[in-house]
Order: sequence, then C-alpha cells, then structure tokens
Amino acid sequence: MRTVYEDRFAELEPLLARVEKPSRYLDHEWGVLSSSDASYRACLIYPDTYEVGLPNQGLAILYKILNAQEGISCERSYVPWVDMADLMRDAGVPLLSLEGAAPVSSFDVVGFHVPHEMACTNYLEALDLAGIPLLSADRGEDDPLVIAGGPSVYNPEPICAFFDAMLIGEGEESIVEVCREHERLRDAGASRQEILRALAKIPGTYVPGLYEVSHEGTCTDHGYTVPRPGEEVPEVVYKRVIADFGSTDPLSQSIVPFAELVHDRLSIEILRGCARGCRFCQAGMTYRPVRERTPDQIVAAVTRGLERTGYDEVSLTSLSTTDHSCCAKILRRLNRGLADTGISVSIPSQRLDSFGVDMALEVAGEKKGGLTFAPEAGSQRLRDIINKNVTEEDLDRAARAAYEAGWRRIKLYFMMGLPGERDEDIVAIANLADHVIDIAHEVFPKGQRGGVSVSISVSVFIPKAHTPFQWCGQLDDAEVRRRQKLLVESVRSRQVRVHYHDASTSLVEAALSRAGRDFTPVILGAWRRGARFDAWTEQFSLDRWLEASAELGMDLRRIATEPFDLEARLPWEHVSPGESRGFLEREWRRALEGRTTEDCTRTSCTGCGICPTLGASNILAGDRS
Amino acid sequence: MSEQCLFRLRIRYVKQGRLRYLGHLEVMHTIERSVRRAGLPYAVTQGFSPHLRAGFSSALPVGTGSTCEWYDLFLTELVPIEDALARLKAATPADLAPQEAGYIDVRAAALTSFITRANYSVQLVSREGRDVSLDGLAAVLDRVAARREIPYQRGRKTKRLDLARTLKGYAVHAGEEAGAFGVELKTYMDNEGALRPEILLAAIDAELRGEPDAAIESTGIQDLACFERYQVERVAQFGQDETGRRIMPL
Repeated sequence: MRTVYEDRFAELEPLLARVEKPSRYLDHEWGVLSSSDASYRACLIYPDTYEVGLPNQGLAILYKILNAQEGISCERSYVPWVDMADLMRDAGVPLLSLEGAAPVSSFDVVGFHVPHEMACTNYLEALDLAGIPLLSADRGEDDPLVIAGGPSVYNPEPICAFFDAMLIGEGEESIVEVCREHERLRDAGASRQEILRALAKIPGTYVPGLYEVSHEGTCTDHGYTVPRPGEEVPEVVYKRVIADFGSTDPLSQSIVPFAELVHDRLSIEILRGCARGCRFCQAGMTYRPVRERTPDQIVAAVTRGLERTGYDEVSLTSLSTTDHSCCAKILRRLNRGLADTGISVSIPSQRLDSFGVDMALEVAGEKKGGLTFAPEAGSQRLRDIINKNVTEEDLDRAARAAYEAGWRRIKLYFMMGLPGERDEDIVAIANLADHVIDIAHEVFPKGQRGGVSVSISVSVFIPKAHTPFQWCGQLDDAEVRRRQKLLVESVRSRQVRVHYHDASTSLVEAALSRAGRDFTPVILGAWRRGARFDAWTEQFSLDRWLEASAELGMDLRRIATEPFDLEARLPWEHVSPGESRGFLEREWRRALEGRTTEDCTRTSCTGCGICPTLGASNILAGDRS
Repeated sequence: MSEQCLFRLRIRYVKQGRLRYLGHLEVMHTIERSVRRAGLPYAVTQGFSPHLRAGFSSALPVGTGSTCEWYDLFLTELVPIEDALARLKAATPADLAPQEAGYIDVRAAALTSFITRANYSVQLVSREGRDVSLDGLAAVLDRVAARREIPYQRGRKTKRLDLARTLKGYAVHAGEEAGAFGVELKTYMDNEGALRPEILLAAIDAELRGEPDAAIESTGIQDLACFERYQVERVAQFGQDETGRRIMPL
C-alpha cells in the first residue's frame, strides 16, 4: 500500500523543541506555491540542510515550473540535520515534505538534486528516513518514482543505483515531460518496469536499470555502461538544453525563508554557460552553449523580484557574471534604480580580466565586503596548462581597482595538484598573494591599512568527467599535505591568510568522480558506518570510507589517483553534455604543450562539438570584447 | 533626511502557531522583508551600510508566542494608518500578522527602553506518573519566588536571574484538562535584564522533582521532567510612569 498523503506535523512538532534551528522544519514561508489539492504530487529534495538547499536556483526553477502545471503540486524537503534525524528515527517519524508535512514516500515522484559528489550518502539518509528502499532494483509498485538531476550527473555511475531515472542537463522542460508521462502511465495502470521503459524514451532521461556494465575491449577497471540486451534505449544519453534561454522566466525564486541562509538574497541568473574553456572545469563544459539574457529582461526581473520577495540584496548569478556582454551597463542601470533604498547588488565572483574600475564601483553599492578572484594557479606556465587565460597584470589591475574603490579584503581561489604542477608553482601562489598585499600598501597610505587582508583558499584539483583532464589521476593525499605545508611556509606577509581543503575529503570526492558502478557498495558501506553530511568537514570521517572500501577489497587511494589510458572507454561516456571526444583529447594535448585555447564567444568556434550535437548555439546580448 | 520629515509608525503584531519557533533575528528579517514587500515608503539609515530603519521590542525566545510584539517603522511619507496596516497585513506571514498601528512622536523613546513591564501566560501539561497538584505547584512557585534569584548556565557563563527585581507577581490556576495548569507572570525588565520564563519553569521543575539545587541550563526550549510540554506566551507589554501607572505603547 502506498503511504497515505496526510499532514503529520503534529508528530514532528514535539521534536522541534529539542533541535538546533527549528526554523529549518517549519514551512509556512512567504511565497510557497504548492497546493493541497492535486492529482499528481512531486517532492523535490535538496540533499543537505534547509539553509544550504533553499537558495539553490535549479530547484527553485523546477519548483516554480511544476507548480505552474495544471493538477501538479510540488513540495520541498531537505535532509534533517543529524540531531533531528536521530530524534525522528527514535520517534518513528518518517521524512516529511515541508509544505504539506506529508510523508515523502506518499508522493508520486521524489526528485533529488545532485549538487556535487559528496552528497552521495545523504541520498541514502533521506531515502532511509523516508522509508523508501535505497536501491531502485528493490522498489515495488507502491514506492514513489525516485529521480535525480543537477550539475553533478555527468559521471552518474557510482550513485545511479539509487535512482529510477536521472535527468541529464537542463530540467526546465524534461521534468514536466517526465512527470506528465509518469502520471499518464500511472493512471493507465502501467507497471513500474513499463513506466521506466517509457521514461527512457524521453530525451535526456537515463534509466540506469536498463543498462549494464561491460568490460569488453579497452576500458578502465570500472568498465563502461551499455544498454542491456533487448532494451531499446539510447547508447548515449545527451543532456537537455534550453536553446531559447531568453524565453524562460529569469525570476526563479518564489520562497522567502525565515532562517538566515548563506545566500540570503534575490538571485537572477543573467546568463547560462561559460566558454572560457578552463580545462579543469566541469561546469564550463556541461553548461554550454553560452546564452545571455538581455539587459531589459534582467532589470525588469530584478524590479519584479524585489517587489515580490522584499529582499535587500540582489545577486546577478551565472558561472561568470562579468563575462556578460552588457554587465557594466546592467549594473549601472540597477544601481541608478536602487539609489536610496538600502538595496545592494552583488556578483558571485569576478574574473580578473573583465573586471574594471567601473564594475568595482557598481558592485555591492556601499557594502564593502570582500572581493573574490580566482586565478586558480600561481604561475603563468601553469595557468596556460589549465587554460585560465588571465595574467599577473590582470590581477594587478583588478586588485588596484578594487583597493581604489574602497575594498580592503580580497579573497583568491587556487587549486593544488593540477597536472604538471611543480613546487615552484606552489611558491608562486604565495608570491602572488604577497604581491597583492604590496599593491594594497601602495594604494593605502601608512596608518590607513587597518583591515587590509588577502585570504587565499586552495582546493585540491579533482579530475572530472567530460573535461580535458578526465584522464588524469588525483594527486596522492600525502603529497597534497606536503604541498599545503610548502605553501603555508612560503607566505611572507602576515596579512595573508591561507585556507586549504581537507585532503581526505578530496580523496573521496576524486574516487566518486572517477569510479563506476563498482563503487556503489562503498557508498552504501560508508553510510551504514554512519557517513552522512560528508560535505560538512566536522561530519566527515575518512575512516568510514577506508573501512567500507577495504571490506569490499577496493583501494580508495588507487581509484582516486590512477590515471586512465587515452584509448580506454571511460565509465561515464554513455551520458554526455554533447562535447566530442576528439575535442577533449586535443585540449589535453594542448595542455601538455602549454598552449592555450580561445573563448569561442570572443573569437571563432573552437570545435567542442556541443552546438551541433545539441542543436543550440551561443546567444549574446551584445558584443564581448 | 532630517528627523522632522520622518513619520514613526508603531505596529503591534503577533507571534503564533509554528512561527513561535522563529528566533528574534529571523522575526526581524521577516518583518523587514514584509515592509519592503508592502511597498511602504520606508526610511533608510545613514552611514556605511544603509538599511531599513526600524526598531523592535525586546527579543522573544524561540518557542515563545506573543499577542503583543511591537515595532516602530520610520516612513518618509505619511501613509494613512488603515492603508499602511492593510498593506503590511497583505505582505506578512499570517502567524506574524500586524494587528494595530498608529503614529507616535518621532523623538519618542525606543521601544526597548519604554517597555518595562511584560506579562506572560504559561500553559503546563504534567507528565503521566508525576502527581503534580495545583496546591503543590503553587507551593513550589512560592518557594522558588522566595529565593530572590536563580543561578543558571548560559553556554560557559554562570548567570543569575534576579527574581527580586524582575518578578512582580504571579498566580497559578488549573487548566482545562486534567494535569494541565496555567501560570501567570508579571515581570519587570530594563537594561539590567529581564525574566526569562523558561528559567523559572526549569527551577519549578527542579523543585518538583526534589532536586532544588540542580543546575539549570538556558538552552532555548527546556526539557522538563515533570511536564510533558509547556507553552509560553507574552500577553502584555507596556511602560510605566513615575507613579507606576501603566502606559500602553500606543
């Protein structure tokens, strides 16, 4: 019997008194769109806490789109923090949706967002709390359809057994198609297997149960995935793309939370895609082509969004906001309109080469917080290898502009363990940070340097699927720790603060990024040992992962660090953002030679193959220079 | 903009239902957003980080409800009271809905210094097997009140609730169902501190279970041994003149 859809808040309420942040579980926020009356119910789940998940724009877009459909009601759920999850288990309260406080297992479809690899144990935590079998293969006719989608589906194999279907690429259209088809078949009395086969026919829908792993021919130890004999499913599932991005509603947010969130503001996605071509960057490949909204559309959406939500900050989001051909003009128009309202405009992170004085003055109005730049590598040689086409002069100019405009704190992002990296490149990171402090000293006279600081944040490079570096292994974690120490010792200025990512977390993230279906039992084993919220440093424990792999006779370190042969079929090539393999191979060779590749929105086509494969193209609102 | 050109609208609102569990900052942010959604001509503070100019009555703990919370909103134009109230109501979650409003002198004292008295109504439901009687509860409350102060832990700090100064009166009565009781508290507050009803409840609970010296921790909502659940509601807030006469915020 399907679980009954009913309000069970009364069971949750006595627990609220005993958890931190009860507002995570309250609902009743401003802007809720679901309806109590519906013929088809969807519950979208972000695999982390409320305050991390609520600002997610992808889910906000789908929430709005599904609730706009006749007869469909879409609710939300998040993973209860460890205190609440334990209380719920003790009290026998299942995972509930927020709006209706109804059991998640009572919904027709449960959709998980896939934000990054480290969320993997939280799908299991949520499914277990919901009382839904963890594996697709174990689900019965009364269980909800469990789907997933998001930015981190381009190596779906380690997690694909948890889901009945995965939506590859942009979900605006496909989630409606999937829900409607499911509803139609449900009403026609179709079996679970019939439903799954039908969903696999919807473009962009990967139904893992209809595929199997082969080890024939040249491949990695993880094998590669092919259709099961007799199943009429595509050999390669290409991502969905919204070719006419400008026709979609730029105002995706509807809900205004009570709780104070990390990103507590109105967000307007002003462009999608980035063609800079950084060779480590997965999003740079998987979000192509580049599509800009027009300034008119953006300014109108900001006005409408602020009126509806009451936020006092608006962020113009994208992978690289200052790349928008009209960014400076948009900022000027917005700031003019928002004068004397106490409302400020912000931009997530700035590219060094397109960040000028004019933009420095326009961003964040009077609120001079920190500015973030991402040079990614310390030396020009290494920046050429990764195709991060910024120079030290760009950083100089941008830092000077920022200081002259009144900023005092600058944050620089770098990666460690990039292919071809040497000790001198690590020292170069420290030198660059010290150099930025020198610029501050030139700009601010002695006695006025209070609060001046540069913080450098260094993550560990993780080779990602569908990038030119997908064949690389990750740097061994002991060597990562040695280089981190070298970096700390190389910084001279006391105004430079160094933060680096935990090498152990990166090790697991690399294994999850590179392994195949053979890794699924490790995730299950780690979760059974208590792993959940692995993206939270204080919750993460490498031991659980090492024990789980050892039990299965797998070597976590080897999976993370072993490079793949260029000729080998990889575990993830049956899902694709549309790039050609030849392009990735060419980019890999150019990287080894230290040769850079241009941005196709500024020059001519560089031949990644995505536009012709997907039937889409770059759309710019103006000229990029 | 000079003070003379501003208008100060004082608004009473409730905190009820699920939204009792909001913290004070969450309530403030939610109301500020409501004001912007209502499209009222709000004034903005001067200075480095300009923001909406408003002042709130003292913080209400997580889990505590109220019928009488207040905030002052500074406007740059005079908006008819009924109009302003209707716009705010339409833009505020129902469980924080504004109830009444009126203009006051722009130079009047801030709510937090004007309001010195707060009355609370506490509903208690005793746990099965704990024979709490009305007389027993009244006697225990007398004993606790006679102590003049209650030490408690807040984080690592040891603090003292000064009952002699903050507890102005109390009464106990039977509730509607068996084992349910009501406690009415009249309290005084100023810069030196206020009475947090939950500390008093924890002290009552400790007395009832025969461990009057048990340590009390101020941890948001209390887990009580003798009571299955409780609910605290602030039911009145006002100021006083020199003679002790009640002055309402509006």
